[in-house]
Amino acid sequence: MPATTTLEAPPAPRNAWIGSLPYAALVLFLGAIALLVWLTREYDADEQQTTLITDVLWMEQNLRFQLDRNEALLQQLGVELLTAERPSAQADAQLRQLMSQDRGIVRVLWINADGQIMGALPPVLDSGLVGEADGAVPAESVMKLARAVGRPVYGPAYPVVGGRHHFEVHVPTWSEERFAGVVVAIYSLSDLVTRELPWWFSERYRVAVLDPDGREIAAKSKIAPLAAQRSYTTPFEPPGHGLTLQITAYKGETRWMPVLLIASIVLFGAIIVWSVWQLRRQLARRQAAEQALRNESAFRKAMEDSVITGLRARDREGRITHVNPAFCRMTGYSAEELLGARPPMPYWDPDQLERTMEVHNQVMRGGTPNEGLEVSLRRKNGERFDALIFEAPLIDAEGHHSGWMGSVLDITEQKRARELARQQDERLQATSRLVTMGEMASTLAHELNQPLGAIASYNSGCINRLEAGQLDAAELRDIHDKIGRQARRAGEIIRRVHDFVRRSEPKREALLLNTVIRDAVGLIEADARKRRMRIISELAPDLPPITADPVMIEQILVNLVRNGMDAMADLPPEQRQVLIQTRQRNHMLEVRVTDRGCGIDPETAARLFQPFFTTKAEGMGMGLNICRSIAELHHGRLTFEPNPSGGTIFILTLPIERP
Amino acid sequence: MSQACAHIIDDDEAIRDALQWQFRTRGVECTLWPSAEAFLDAWQTDWRGCIVLDIRMEGMSGLECFDTLIERQCSLPVIFITGHGDVPMAVSALKKGAFDFIEKPFSDNELIERVERAIALDTERQRAAADRGTVESRLASLTAREREVMELILEGKYNKVIADQLSISMRTVEAHRSKVFDKMQVRSAVELAQMLTTLKG
Repeated sequence: MPATTTLEAPPAPRNAWIGSLPYAALVLFLGAIALLVWLTREYDADEQQTTLITDVLWMEQNLRFQLDRNEALLQQLGVELLTAERPSAQADAQLRQLMSQDRGIVRVLWINADGQIMGALPPVLDSGLVGEADGAVPAESVMKLARAVGRPVYGPAYPVVGGRHHFEVHVPTWSEERFAGVVVAIYSLSDLVTRELPWWFSERYRVAVLDPDGREIAAKSKIAPLAAQRSYTTPFEPPGHGLTLQITAYKGETRWMPVLLIASIVLFGAIIVWSVWQLRRQLARRQAAEQALRNESAFRKAMEDSVITGLRARDREGRITHVNPAFCRMTGYSAEELLGARPPMPYWDPDQLERTMEVHNQVMRGGTPNEGLEVSLRRKNGERFDALIFEAPLIDAEGHHSGWMGSVLDITEQKRARELARQQDERLQATSRLVTMGEMASTLAHELNQPLGAIASYNSGCINRLEAGQLDAAELRDIHDKIGRQARRAGEIIRRVHDFVRRSEPKREALLLNTVIRDAVGLIEADARKRRMRIISELAPDLPPITADPVMIEQILVNLVRNGMDAMADLPPEQRQVLIQTRQRNHMLEVRVTDRGCGIDPETAARLFQPFFTTKAEGMGMGLNICRSIAELHHGRLTFEPNPSGGTIFILTLPIERP
Repeated sequence: MSQACAHIIDDDEAIRDALQWQFRTRGVECTLWPSAEAFLDAWQTDWRGCIVLDIRMEGMSGLECFDTLIERQCSLPVIFITGHGDVPMAVSALKKGAFDFIEKPFSDNELIERVERAIALDTERQRAAADRGTVESRLASLTAREREVMELILEGKYNKVIADQLSISMRTVEAHRSKVFDKMQVRSAVELAQMLTTLKG
């Protein structure tokens, strides 16, 4: 098996829930955070509510205490105010202090037991002017009630000019077991509420006084609270009469720390969710990519296994790093035997190590030409095969050139087929030539047969007459005339053939023998390469020109070289060599064509130039015959002698025309 | 019926002329035809003799002409004249029923001797055909009973056996027998058997 890096399939998820555990944990975590936030807020709100109630109770307490203190003071002052002719300076001072201090009292009146206003502070000029709203002030009913119960009584609130509300307190006064009258203090509701509350309270809360109908009749602040969710209502007693106090908390200043904390927790939670989601997406993408890669890899692997082209990768040192099954089949070695092998490779042809090494080095230096490189390799079983190699640089993921990927094609069959086709082609041509010649010969025979047949018949007839003794001189003469005519007819046919042959007389021109030889070698070189023959020319320089038909001379040379190559077909390639030499000898130029083939035995030598004599399976036996005819046409000669080192030398001599 | 003669078909005038001269010196009648087409156009079913046919000719070749003659059921023997290299063709013609072939150039009287043999064969065939006609007409003149009696005679049976088999009297058999011999113009049972064998052959 070839070493192939395959991606392992991912392990099947053993427990599907493990995969979703992080998400579940995340959801729980976020839930817990949300719960915590909610609980914190709840706790906060509770605390605020408690504070509110505490504050309200404190304020109520404070107001009641204030009013009680004022009552006590008024009771104490009342005696002196109602009994004395003039209030003492001390009482006056106390009264003024009562007024001046921010206690919400706008006026104090003292009324005797008969209901007459004894005095007031600030003074009231006309008792009639006191009534500012419904009924008289101070209200008589309240005064009566106070006298009856014998303790201070508060009257209901009533509106006065300016949208304000006042209420009164009647404090009954006894002097020496006798009802002396009442001291009435008029409070301004709004002043009471505004002035009696400490600053910190009014900063935190809005305080409003509501009448029994729920209308707001006095408020500490005109600004409506932003949120009414936290408020507390308590009865305002004294003065009572259905008045209520409504305390509403201003929106407390935002407490930034928890908000920031919560915000950051939410933010981080969001980031976590987002990143988990991103992670998940990336994972999915990665998995998809891996899947695609695995598919692609399987696809490539199948492709590689199915091709019949051998593939092998080598690193830059020439070590084999990968082979495909086709390559293993081709060479007969297993992948294990080949992997890691260094040059010389086991599959190289030992007879051509040098050349193969050269090819290898060429590949290592810079790949193969586009048309590939042809090398001879050897299978494990010793069988040789020809391979065509194409190499491409192997570039790794980082873009580094890490080695070479080569495809190896077994072209043995192809070459054999090509060779076979070529041979068949040649045979076909030879056959067609033969057919043409046969055709010509047949036509010629038929043509000649006609007059000959006629002559034979006339002749037989004459003999018949002679035998029968019926001799008619005129008749016989006529017949012999006819015989003569037929004989002439035959002669005419022969003359026509001769004319036809004569038409191929050489066209002589001055030419350089060496040039003709080079042309001939050019013609035959491709064929020689295909048959792994080498043609070596050793041409003497400065040969004089000769007068000859270049095409014919070329034909002689091509023929001789081809004969030489045919003679060496069975030799090992390195010995296949045809040598062409030229030289001058007296008035002749000499061309020697030397091969190293099997030579010519004496029996063959005797018939060598005879027409239709051949030693080749497809030969026509005309080649050398024609060559010699051409040589003779040029007044030259074609001879041969054995090559001392094996093979034959054909010698063509041509005369140099004297100017 | 026309006289037997050799029909020479050749596109070469010299050959025709020479053959005519040679045939005349041996006393063989001949007719000359310059082409196969000319001969086929003129041919009549009652022509006798033989045909000398050149294989290689302008226009219709000898072989084509031979095929046409076979199609027309011409029974004249055909002698092919072949040139060099036409031998395989001639052999295939022989297989189709040609009488013979001879290669050009012919030596001495080789051709003429074959022509004579061919004409003789044709004459013989002609005579045989004529004989057959006679026998057939004689057979046709027999009555059904006579024919029955003849069959039994040919089987070599005696008159007595024949009489038994046909449930007739000996005398009647004898009368039939002499009638049959008269009509068939034979003198004995052996002669009668020979005559009928020729017909079958």
